[in-house]
Order: sequence, then C-alpha cells, then structure tokens
Amino acid sequence: MDHLSILENKSIFIIREAYYRFRNIAMLWSVGKDSTTLLWLVRKAFFGKVPFPVIHIDTTYKFPEMYAFRDEYAKKWGLNLIVGSNEGQVAAGMGPKKGSKLDCCNELKTNALKQIIEKNGFKALLLGIRRDEHGIRAKERVFSPRDDNFKWDYENQPAELWDQYKSTAEEDNHFRVHPILHMTELDIWKYIKRENIPITELYLSKEGKRYRSIGCLPCCSPVESAASSIDEIIHELETTHTSERAGRAQDKEDAYTMQKLRSLGYM
Amino acid sequence: MQDQKTKCMVIGLDGVSQTLLSDYIEKGYLPGFKNILDSGFRLHQMDASIPDVSSTSWTSFMTGVNPGEHGIFGFMDLRPGTYKMFFPSSKDVKAPAIWEIIGQTSGGKGSTLHDKYREGIRRPLKSVVLNIPQTYPALPLNGVLTAGFVCPDLKNGTYPESAYNYLKSIGYLSDVDAQKAVEDRDAFFDELFLALDRRAEAFEHFMDNSEWDLFVSVITETDRLHHFFFDAARDEKNPVNKTFISFYKKMDEVIGRLYARFMEITGGQGLFITMSDHGFTVLEKEVYVNSWLREEGLLKINAVRDYYEGIEFGTKAFAMDPSRFYVNAEGRYPAGSVKGSDKKAVVADLKDRLLSLEYDGRHVIKAVYGNAEIYNGPAAASGPDLVCVANDGFDLKGTLKKEGVFGKGNFSGMHTRHDAHCILPASIEPGGRLHIEALAGFMLDKLLIQKPQRR
Repeated sequence: MDHLSILENKSIFIIREAYYRFRNIAMLWSVGKDSTTLLWLVRKAFFGKVPFPVIHIDTTYKFPEMYAFRDEYAKKWGLNLIVGSNEGQVAAGMGPKKGSKLDCCNELKTNALKQIIEKNGFKALLLGIRRDEHGIRAKERVFSPRDDNFKWDYENQPAELWDQYKSTAEEDNHFRVHPILHMTELDIWKYIKRENIPITELYLSKEGKRYRSIGCLPCCSPVESAASSIDEIIHELETTHTSERAGRAQDKEDAYTMQKLRSLGYM
Repeated sequence: MQDQKTKCMVIGLDGVSQTLLSDYIEKGYLPGFKNILDSGFRLHQMDASIPDVSSTSWTSFMTGVNPGEHGIFGFMDLRPGTYKMFFPSSKDVKAPAIWEIIGQTSGGKGSTLHDKYREGIRRPLKSVVLNIPQTYPALPLNGVLTAGFVCPDLKNGTYPESAYNYLKSIGYLSDVDAQKAVEDRDAFFDELFLALDRRAEAFEHFMDNSEWDLFVSVITETDRLHHFFFDAARDEKNPVNKTFISFYKKMDEVIGRLYARFMEITGGQGLFITMSDHGFTVLEKEVYVNSWLREEGLLKINAVRDYYEGIEFGTKAFAMDPSRFYVNAEGRYPAGSVKGSDKKAVVADLKDRLLSLEYDGRHVIKAVYGNAEIYNGPAAASGPDLVCVANDGFDLKGTLKKEGVFGKGNFSGMHTRHDAHCILPASIEPGGRLHIEALAGFMLDKLLIQKPQRR
C-alpha cells in the first residue's frame, strides 16, 4: 500500500473508533486545509454522509473567502452545521485590538466552544491538528482527555501502544480526538492533490504572496511564495526548509527550557 | 609553551554544601577529599550570590563580579518595559567570563575585574570550560566549552564543533531528566550515575587532549540529587540514604582522580579548587510568594494571560523565582501602578510585611535586601527592588499558579545562601568570610602570576 493510503486508513480507523465509542460526538471545522481534509476523511469513513454535527466557531473575524467556502460546501455535502460564536463578547466588541490577542482567542474561540459543548453535551470532538505543527503538539495523543476547564495535562496521558488507543473517559471529561495527528503539512497537500479536495484560494499565491495557514484576518499574515497551484505548493514544501511557523527554533528552545525549569520546581 | 606552574583547575559541584561535605569526610565516606585536605588544603564555608540560584551564582563565579554588573538575576526575567518573560542566555551576560578575560575574547564587554587585570595579560591563555550553567549558547572562545544547564541543544551549546562530535560519540548527557525522580526513582538514579560517568570521561579526555591554562568542570547531578532526596543525606533509615552516599563516593573517586592527575601535570604547583554555587538544606515548606502578595492585596493577576502578562493595574508588586520582588512602577512596566514618589514607601512597606511573615510561630524570612544594598553596576537598575534570603527550611517560590501561601511538593531539599563550600590551598587566606565572587580573582592571580596593582 502506498504512503497516502496507509495514512488514510489510519485516520479512518480512528474516526470510526471514536464514533463507535462515543456516539455523541462532533467535529471542528475551521475551513482551513487541515480540518477540510479531516472532513473529507469523515465523509469517506461513513460513505459520503457525515453522521454527526460539524462545528464552525465564528469569531466574526474570518476571511470573507472562508465564510463563502463554508456555506457552499456545508450545503453541497449536506452537513449538520453548528455555527457558534460567543455572542455576548462579540456584542461587547471583543477583538484583537481590545485587550490582548490571547484574550480575544480565549473569549471568541475557547469560550464559544465551551458554550457549544455544554449545550449539546458532546463527549468527544474530532480535531484536525497535526504533530508537526508546533513543538508542544509533538506530545499530543490521538485520544486526548480534557477536564472541565479544558486543561490538557500532558504529563498524565495514558500510554498508547501501537493501535490500542485509549478511549474510555471519566465523567465530566470530554475527549479530543486527532485523526490526522500523524500527517505532515506535505502529506496533507499530497492528499489534497490525490483526492482533489476543495480548498479556499487563500492558500494559492497572488502577487507573490500566499497564506500558509489561515484563521482570523487580523492575526494572519501571508508568506512570500510564487506557488499558485497545489503542485507548486508541494514542490515548494519539498524544497524549502523554512517552517510553517516562523521563529519556531526559539519556540522549541524556550519550550525545552520551560519544561526543565518546571521539573526543578521553578515557574 | 604553556607554563605548567600557573595552571588552574576548578571543579564545581552544584549545590554541595560545606556542612554535608565536612560531615561525610569526617565519617570516612570520602577518602579522595580527605587526601586533598591532608595535603595542604582547607575547606571553607562560602556565601553564594543573592538570589542563591544557579544561573546567578555561577555567573558571579565565572565573571567575578556581582549581578549588578553581570546582569543575571535568575533563570527567567522580563523584557525591558514589558511583562514578557524570557530566559537569559550567555548572550545576556554583561561582564566577561574569566576565560574571555585570559583568552582575550571579551569583545566589547568590560567589568571592574577585567579592568583590574587588564595590564597583566601578556598573551592569550587557553581554557577548557565544561558544563557551567548559564553558558548556553556556546560563544567562541580561546579553547573548548560545553554549556551547562539549561542546554536545549548540545551542538549549539558546544564550541568548537570537534568537541561536540567527541561528546556525541561518548553519549555525553548535558543533563538528567529530573522528572524521573518523581515518576521512576530507579531510572532516575541510573541516569544520575550514567551522567556522572560520562562527565568524568569527558573531563579526563579534555584534560589530556586539549591545551589549557584554565580548566573548569562542573558536576550538576548533586543538585538534582539534593532537590529530590536531601532528606536522605543524613537519615540512615531513609531508603535512599545508601544510594545518596554511594553517589557521593563515586563523585569522590572522580575528584580524587582529577586532583592526582592535575598535581602530576603541574608538579604540585598548580592551583586546585573545588567549590559550589550554593548550599543545600532540608525543605520544610514551600512559600508561594506571589500568592502571598495576592492575599496581601498587593498583586492583581488575570490568570487567563501568560505568566506576568496577566498583571493588572492596581498591582503594587510581584515576585519572580526564587525570591526577587519587583515594584510595579510607572514607567518601568506597561500597567505600572506605583508613582515614582511612592516607590520608597511601597518598598519599605513590603520589606516590613516580608519580615513579619510567619509560619507556625517562626519567621520565614531571614533578611530582605534593597537593590542598592547588594547590587552595584550598570545592570543593577534591571534587577529586583527587593531580594529575600529565607530561613533554612522555607523555600520561596515565584510561581503564579498556586493557591495558598504554604505547601509542599516533590522536593525535599532547598538552596541555602550561606552554606556553599570551597576547598582552597591553605596559602590562600580569604580574610573574612569567603564569597563566590572572590574566586575569579584567585584564579587570575595564579594564571597571570604578576599580581595586579591593588590600590
């Protein structure tokens, strides 16, 4: 079996396992390339029909292209789409310029999601994060328990041996399930190419610049790139050494230092 | 041609206290140390830097100046004018290290110590510097260096690359995984002994295969052992007591070997020193000083934001590890809430409150120092406004995440300021209590032979 098919099989296995174990689940769809790939895999896992709700957290600051894309494919694929936003905070004018960026993310993303989980009583959420995205995500597991406060206690994670994913939850916890954790940025693009998965045009170069990852408009900046097709993006990634996140080397050193200092009781 | 008689060797033993070393020598556990003391050396109790944390104290050792000059006040600090935390690296050390002084590689850095000896340096001297904390990333020097704690990447932490290749080839460990002390005690001890083995192998390799006038090597494992198991040091009933002592015995063997080899090379004429960056004692209670500041109504923090970025208007003071207090002054910080004219009063009030902090009828704090009392130099202004020295048993912690003022975690040992050790030739008379900042001067006196002009 080729590399992409192995990755695909693994993802589909995790998706079906999660649905079988939890039933009351949902997936998060940011409309970015990773979660759209996840959505594609979910459709494949259940033969074209997504058997659970798809949540889009609307901070009201997304790119216009993202809203258009979301609405088009939600209709085309017959999704049970839940659009959630922290309306109180949106009404109060929360934004990246009011308070810190962290406050903005916390209110408009995290707390919006909390409200949806409480309201619907979801036991597990499927998320499209990847292990190669960021240093701290290297420690993520496929099934990752969270407590009431969304805290992720990475030191207290159950062991995952081969395919024996730990998927039983204690009361009051919800699980985060990461079916594409094992894919890299390059795998994603190759898979998008093979499957002809639709993506927003923000990823393709216009006037020498493209977005390598997308989220809220005020907090995203494009990278220098001439790649205006998926083939060109794949070629660019195969030949470039700059990472998806700038300044990541410093991030990694700081993360290491922080962990070292903590283990000796500092911080 | 190197002069064998002016060579210096310093063995640093992180956190090895004078009192414990003295006890263990007396009990006959440490024949190597006993032999050194019997051949014309004296064991001194030594004062560490304030705060008595490894990054600060080792920097004082290697630069021979106080934190007001070298600028390292702890493992973490805030970027000027912000609450953004960062981890100071070797690049943030403002004064030249002794190997930069003698190797003539200090670049634009200067210090009072450098000024004193500038005249005496006739030719650049070579150094081997192994595992001193706060030397990452490795800056090019006239010699060899591999950085000590914290060293996130051995390659960036080692100069030149040939030294890195060698260290990699022997499976050198820059540090043990301290987390194992809690999770898997046996695995922790295995790694502790292994790290010491590898270090000893590297020390001997560089001693024999590099040219050097100054050789400084540090053993860090003692500090890790002490943090988690210091209660076992003198308690024969403690299940870890035997392992604790056997680690010291192994270290004694390594030091005995290095000492004998050094004396052989220098015909008994070189300067040999062992020392530590602070002492250790049994930890009774951890004291969460930021939580105390909150309870006193002096600190307001929004826990949603990262670390110190959560400080809100109305905050009078905050603390950083281990015992540094900063007044949230207008002009110095974005949410500065203490006017320049009120600062003196806030400092005085905080000092009073700290000195009256009690646990179980006992005072927690032994002494509180104002910035100007202990720091002197161009970096003093970036230092804390107040620094505490706690009474033995009370370990001050700067965490922002704990509730309550007193607690106890996984640690059984804590640093002490007054009980570092230093073994010096009896011919060196410190003249009063020995301080860690004085050692660089002893080394320079030897290395440069020609005594500096003292006014």
